[in-house]
Amino acid sequence: MMNHLLSSPPGWIHAAIFFGLGACLLVIVLGFVTYAILAERKVLGFMQLRPGPNRVGGRFGLLQTVADVLKLLIKEDTIPKLADKPLFILAPVLAFAPAFMVLAAIPFSEHLKFSDLSIGLLYYIAISGITTVGILMAGWASNNKYSLLGGMRSAAQMISYEIPLVISVIGVILFSGSLNLTDIVNGQEKVAYIFLSPLGFIVFFISSIAELNRTPFDLPEAESELVAGYHVEYSGFRWAFFMLTEYVYLFAMAALTTVLFLGGWKPIPFLGFIPGIIWFALKFSVIVFFMIWIRGTMPRLRADQLMEFAWKVLLPVALLNIFVSAVVKELFLR
Amino acid sequence: MTGEMIAFFILALAAIAGGVLMINLSNVVHMVVALVFTFLAIAGIYITLSAEFVAAVQVLIYSGAITIIMLFGIMLTRHERDTASKMPRMTVLLSGAGVALFFLIMFFGINRLSLGSPAADLHIENTKKIGVELYSKYIIPFELTSVLLLVALVGAIVLAKRDEEKEAEK
Repeated sequence: MMNHLLSSPPGWIHAAIFFGLGACLLVIVLGFVTYAILAERKVLGFMQLRPGPNRVGGRFGLLQTVADVLKLLIKEDTIPKLADKPLFILAPVLAFAPAFMVLAAIPFSEHLKFSDLSIGLLYYIAISGITTVGILMAGWASNNKYSLLGGMRSAAQMISYEIPLVISVIGVILFSGSLNLTDIVNGQEKVAYIFLSPLGFIVFFISSIAELNRTPFDLPEAESELVAGYHVEYSGFRWAFFMLTEYVYLFAMAALTTVLFLGGWKPIPFLGFIPGIIWFALKFSVIVFFMIWIRGTMPRLRADQLMEFAWKVLLPVALLNIFVSAVVKELFLR
Repeated sequence: MTGEMIAFFILALAAIAGGVLMINLSNVVHMVVALVFTFLAIAGIYITLSAEFVAAVQVLIYSGAITIIMLFGIMLTRHERDTASKMPRMTVLLSGAGVALFFLIMFFGINRLSLGSPAADLHIENTKKIGVELYSKYIIPFELTSVLLLVALVGAIVLAKRDEEKEAEK
């Protein structure tokens, strides 16, 4: 049905249908965020030999995040007196909007996709860059030294790690010969690209954690140094927007990794009877679990180590990956 | 009125509004933010012209990278937050006349200009076409640009290194 909608000439009805579908996706993503936060706290809890949230909503704390969100929404909304008011208000919007916009490019299954962009991958990378402006603005507008430092760190980190992230994907583009995410998934009919360019996958995964500002790369919000980084002065639902941005990006990045390296909705051989969307969800959940696992395992990097790691380790490895991918393509995929 | 026209008018208005705000705002950071909106609106106009590759690159380079570098430069250097200045009347009048003249020239120029009939199949696989053109017809300028960028990169590192050495000597 969606393929038909995408290929037929546009009209007002299409706009209305896509608006409705977009609203559905937003609800699903919000549901994901609610339970991703719970899952994160639970997994971290188990790793540190404690039960995690277990009071609100039964034994597993199923309503804990709902209660937290409710608390955030009814909290007082404070704006510092000396803050740059228009930018302070605009910043969470500018940070969140791209996080949801990038989801439009991702195909969830053969029939469930919101667009068929010929530049899907480039679109994701380009749009996600706007969030950096939002975060930098939040850091500056708060008129607080900790938030300014956090915003600066965040921007420097996101720009530095965007480069290995993009270069590590070139291997995948070489194999599939397309920037269209649907074509990239279809190119993995026989073998997923994680096996063809394992080096690219490792670089991509590390840089994506850094792009998401998660431990061990969570310097922008290092609690022990910067209180909370760029959102020190935010409270209530404005703060919730930054949290939401972070977790929606987790959703988007895990989905993108699934599409690029794990073969999207393609099944493992002999298990083709299971529908594609379930395969997608499974692979997606594995990636999200890995992200949480790493957060529970690694200590935080130092600021100078962070930059050196991006430029001196990840970038050369990503460049090597292009070369290796080209050789693999010439030798095995002709 | 087609949807394309509506989209064009909204985007064009946003681009112009961003530009006007950029000139009229007094706070430098606000100016850069206004500029971001202009860049994004221009990217939107590229999409209505079905040049989605150029649009994505516009967003990536201009609203992403260049804006952040400008913001960094502004935030890291000491500056007066508000830069409002009064211009003498003569300057205002002269520049107003210049603007009017420029408008008239552009208006009549564009009215008379005919671009021939636009190519109908430009939007099909245009990313691939751009790649093929770059690597066949324009390979030498393309490679020269990359050398230029490399030189700029090395130059920046050399300049930064020299500062460090001076500080070390002190």
